[in-house]
Amino acid sequence: MDIERDQRRFKQIVRGRIRDNLRKYITHGEMIGRKGRDLVSIPVPQLDVPRFKFGKNGSGGVGQGDGEVGDSLGKPGQGPDGAGGAGSDPGGGHYLEVEVSLDELAEMLGNELELPRIKPKGAASIEAEKTKYNSIRQTGPESLRHLRRTYLRALKRQISTGSYEPADPRVVPVRADKQYRSWNEVPQPQVNAAVIYIMDVSGSMTDEQKEIVRTEAFWIDAWLGKQYKGVEKRYIIHDAVAKEVDEHTFYHTRESGGTRISSAYKTAADIIEASFPVADWNIYCFQFSDGDNWGDDNRKAFELLGEKLIPASNLFCYGQVESPYGSGDFIDALEKQFGSHEKLVFSEIADKDAIYESIRKFLGKGK
Amino acid sequence: MSLAKQLLADLAAAVGQQSQPFTISAGPRTIHCHALQCDAFAATIDELALETPELAAATVVQLQTASQSLSKRVNYLLEPIAPIETDAQGCSVQLRSNPPQRDDNGRRYYELLLRRGGSVALCRFEKQPGQPRVRIPAALTHEVIGRLIDDFAATVDGI
Repeated sequence: MDIERDQRRFKQIVRGRIRDNLRKYITHGEMIGRKGRDLVSIPVPQLDVPRFKFGKNGSGGVGQGDGEVGDSLGKPGQGPDGAGGAGSDPGGGHYLEVEVSLDELAEMLGNELELPRIKPKGAASIEAEKTKYNSIRQTGPESLRHLRRTYLRALKRQISTGSYEPADPRVVPVRADKQYRSWNEVPQPQVNAAVIYIMDVSGSMTDEQKEIVRTEAFWIDAWLGKQYKGVEKRYIIHDAVAKEVDEHTFYHTRESGGTRISSAYKTAADIIEASFPVADWNIYCFQFSDGDNWGDDNRKAFELLGEKLIPASNLFCYGQVESPYGSGDFIDALEKQFGSHEKLVFSEIADKDAIYESIRKFLGKGK
Repeated sequence: MSLAKQLLADLAAAVGQQSQPFTISAGPRTIHCHALQCDAFAATIDELALETPELAAATVVQLQTASQSLSKRVNYLLEPIAPIETDAQGCSVQLRSNPPQRDDNGRRYYELLLRRGGSVALCRFEKQPGQPRVRIPAALTHEVIGRLIDDFAATVDGI
């Protein structure tokens, strides 16, 4: 159908627009109307289709006006003097909300940032039940009737009872001939990932920093969700004390406590130990802080990181978000302590524009 | 003579000198001041701190209340001061310029730390774009230095 072809073409154009502006969406979090788990609503500039517009009745027409037959109409711009000017209405305000699947977005992200596919570690030892239509039964709903088997069985019956006439090859199934497709629950090995997000919510982290973390976490989620069948997410917030929270609390909490990063590392290590056996899970930790760690906490934090978190993780990513007071020195201390450890990725996120490179740095290792 | 007056007298005597540490004590309180440069009206100070064992038994709540009062008193610096973080474990309160000063060359802010033990200390930081954050000297007139010491002392008195 022509209309279906047009619709496909329209979708291609819209997706092209999203791809073209993906960097903008990544850095400025414009996937504002998230629809749910699988769909994202993205505003793209309206695509105008040219169309005829009706004028007002009685406002003149061909052959009317002051001129005489044979008068020249003149060239554009030669009319009487008058002040031109811009229209009074603001333009370009029309946006079209387009729904895109998270999978599709992740694919675009991967292409845009040239991200390598993740190679999961270890064997897939987590089992999930999957329904497979792989057996036949005598009863079932008509929608699942297996026509070929039903007719074969009817044919066999007719031949064996002598009611089949080769000269008049009609096969008429009776109730006992009917065969139905049926299903079994098949255990299917799955490679699963656990993602632990850690955010500093101390007094020096403002809403702007949290927005950066939210945007970056959204794209990390989208990418890891595409790479793994099941992604378990856990959220930890901390100031001087850490606690595990739900997603909403994670992004909307502000505390006034000091910063002790070791408290968050301890909570993360406890979660991993209790819920995610290292042999079965691909574990990712993403930590965001302004790097203003208090007192002598670095030593304790590095101990936990080196002994518990890094060995358990596929990847430990630390993003230092710049607060109104600049960036702390935790990232320098981290680099000094662990150097270029293959499982550690550091990124300094000065502002929203730095999110793009930060994501590339975090996910570019393909681990 | 009060601590402030003693320090101002020492600063007046040190005009023209560079990198002069001053330590002045009166009773249980000691002022530490490291002046990098000093002239007749002002000095560039690396750190200005009042140390006293009177804060040895201070609770976090007391320090928080004192920090509120300190931020109200110290309203004559380049930027207003406000408590930013409280470390219950280490029993200290951090106050900073709120908002910090921002321009094309980066941002600058004062940091005051009120600690059980104890001390009240002031220093200034700068963060230039693409550079690590560094401590910078705070340029203060003698009058402001004297007033700061008085306000530090008043804060300790209030705990």
